[in-house]
Amino acid sequence: MSTLSLYFLREWKLMFRNTSSLIQPLVFFVIIALLFPFSLPAESALLQKIGGGVIWVSAVLATLLSLESMFYTDYIDGSLEQALIHPRSVTLAMLGKVLAQWTGTGLILSCFSPLLCLTFNIPSSQIWVLFASLILGTPSLTLIGAIGAALTVTLRRGGVLIAIIILPLYIPILIFGAGTLTQAAQGLPIAGQLYALAAILALALTLAPFAIAGALRVTIE
Amino acid sequence: MILFIGFFNTVWDALGRFYHRLGSPREFYKISNVVTPIFGILFLSLSLVGAYYGLFVAPADYQQGDSFRILYVHVPVAWMSLFVYVTMAVAAAIGLIWRIKMAFVVTICSAPIGAAFTALALLTGSIWGKPIWGTWWVWDARLTSELILFFLYLGIMATYYAFEERKTAEKAAALVSVVGVVIVPIIHYSVEWWSSLHQGVTVFAKGGPKMPASMLFPLAMMALGFMFYYGYALFLSMRHTVLKNEQSSRWVKELAQNAEQATHS
Repeated sequence: MSTLSLYFLREWKLMFRNTSSLIQPLVFFVIIALLFPFSLPAESALLQKIGGGVIWVSAVLATLLSLESMFYTDYIDGSLEQALIHPRSVTLAMLGKVLAQWTGTGLILSCFSPLLCLTFNIPSSQIWVLFASLILGTPSLTLIGAIGAALTVTLRRGGVLIAIIILPLYIPILIFGAGTLTQAAQGLPIAGQLYALAAILALALTLAPFAIAGALRVTIE
Repeated sequence: MILFIGFFNTVWDALGRFYHRLGSPREFYKISNVVTPIFGILFLSLSLVGAYYGLFVAPADYQQGDSFRILYVHVPVAWMSLFVYVTMAVAAAIGLIWRIKMAFVVTICSAPIGAAFTALALLTGSIWGKPIWGTWWVWDARLTSELILFFLYLGIMATYYAFEERKTAEKAAALVSVVGVVIVPIIHYSVEWWSSLHQGVTVFAKGGPKMPASMLFPLAMMALGFMFYYGYALFLSMRHTVLKNEQSSRWVKELAQNAEQATHS
């Protein structure tokens, strides 16, 4: 079995043995998104306008929340150190881990987003637009975020630091992601925005695993 | 021909030795004794000339009148905000790849200076924007990406101060600055990719600068002056950091003893 699939399946097994790690980010995502209607004037026209942005911000925050524990348990039980000294490629191993992490957070969030769209009165023609932008955008969020998680794994209070390092890098993804829905609402073509998201994903998919492996080597010595 | 090769070899050897000397904290400290004041003098003289020509000699703009003169601070600091980031990231990459101590010092000491330049660019921009655009801030691509750059600088500084072990902290901060470098081309091209309130490329435009020489000269002087300011501030900060990092080494102790004797006698 290749390093990538080995690590992917290992993470999957761990995730399904501890289902709370699957449910928590999703519940967090939904609660954050639903805080906005409570705190804003409840006009359906307004909610419809801001819904896409709200769902995107909630997805970013939910991803961020799930990242803190990403390498932590492996670091505590020593398996992360084993992965680093094993002759197999650390980069590929970490890519497998990150992809599994995404299926547990980003993918589930994206699949759940149409339901949230209904509560924000987003027209059904635009629901798939939001879904497509989330499917293309959330893997980049997890890949880039994992760099921050790898850097802060040895710190006791790393959560805030992950946010400070990673959130600035998330902003372009957020702009393009939420931008797709604003464009679609005005009846403009969205291909450009989706291409931009895909380009970011290609970049993150090829470069982030090296940065993650490098970050782990820096912090764990 | 042989003479030429001999000359080339001598120059190359000298450059190599200079490079290795810069790589050692002790030698850096000696060299910076000489270089730092030179940078300071160049900064002062160039920016004074630039300020004089910019404020008194350059003609007023045909549209914006005298309020355009804030350009002589705004544009150089905006350029520097990117220049410092690239320098910092290149130094970080050099440090990570070739494990050179001094490269990390360049990275760590550049971050606060770059953050200050970015903050100044944002501040002067909004002071300029209020009379011309009628607003302090717009969410346009150039302004937003410059704000992201400011947060990146803060993130690098936060990473450095989060680790107790200095060597880990240096490497971690270097890694963050290398990762963040992807944002630099986005900022640079933002005025071309998205048309917005912020004006397009004026100086490094195709077919030469779209600006009369009388306005361009002070801008070039200010830009060079700020470049030397960066060198000056960086070297001052690096000297401080080197002394702190090497405080238990013999040469720093000797330096401190000599300084103490000089004050007592």
